[in-house]
Amino acid sequence: MNGRTTKAEVRIQQEDFSQDEEISALRASSKRMGGIATFIGCARDFSEGRSVAKISFDAYGSMAEAEMKKLRAEAIARFTLLDARIVHRVGVVGAGEQIVFIAAGAEHRAPALQACHWLIDELKLRVPIWKKEITPEGESWVTSHP
Amino acid sequence: MIRVLFFGPVAERVGSSEIQVTFATGMRLQDLHRQMQGMYPAAFEIVCFTAMNGEHVRDMQLPVSDNSEVVFMSKFSGG
Repeated sequence: MNGRTTKAEVRIQQEDFSQDEEISALRASSKRMGGIATFIGCARDFSEGRSVAKISFDAYGSMAEAEMKKLRAEAIARFTLLDARIVHRVGVVGAGEQIVFIAAGAEHRAPALQACHWLIDELKLRVPIWKKEITPEGESWVTSHP
Repeated sequence: MIRVLFFGPVAERVGSSEIQVTFATGMRLQDLHRQMQGMYPAAFEIVCFTAMNGEHVRDMQLPVSDNSEVVFMSKFSGG
C-alpha cells in the first residue's frame, strides 16, 4: 500500500481537483505516452461587462457522468489515445477557481492536442451541466458556450 | 407515475426540480412535452433537449413507459 487512492478517470465532484494528481494518474496508465495535452477551465471574475463573484453549477449528475464516460471512450477510440481523464466540478465555484480538467495522453503530441480540444468542445455540447453567474447585481444563468 | 426532472434555468422557471405525472397508456414523449409546456410555458421557452432514462432522445414520438424518468433541458453551459 502506498497510501494513495486511485480516483476514477471520469468524475463530477464539488471539491477542487489537483492537476498534478490527475496527470500522475494519467501517466501511470502507460509508459508509452509521448504526449499529454491538458485543458483547465477556470471561473472568470468578469463576464458580459460585469464582475462575477462566483459561479454555481447545476447538473443532471447521473447523465452528465455517463455522457462524460462516453466522451472519454469516444476520444480514446477516435484519436487512439492511451488514456484520458475528465473532471468537472459542481456546486459553487469562486472566481479564479478551477472548474473542469481534461487530459489526453497519446503516443504523440498531435492526437493528444486534437483530442483535448475535441473533448472540451463536445463536453460543452453534450454534457447536461448548467452554470449560473453570481454577481453583485444578481444572478443569471449562462446560456451560451463560446 | 412518470418522474419529470428539471435542472438549472428550467428548474428555476418551473419553480421545482421534480414533479410526478400520472402515466397514461399510449403516452408519447410529445404528449408529455405538450402537457408540461401548457403548465410551464416560460420554462419551455428555453427547453431544447429531452432525455429519457438518462439518454438523449431526439424522437419525440417515442412511447413513455410507466416509471420512466424524463428530463426537459435547456442548452448546456458546463465547462
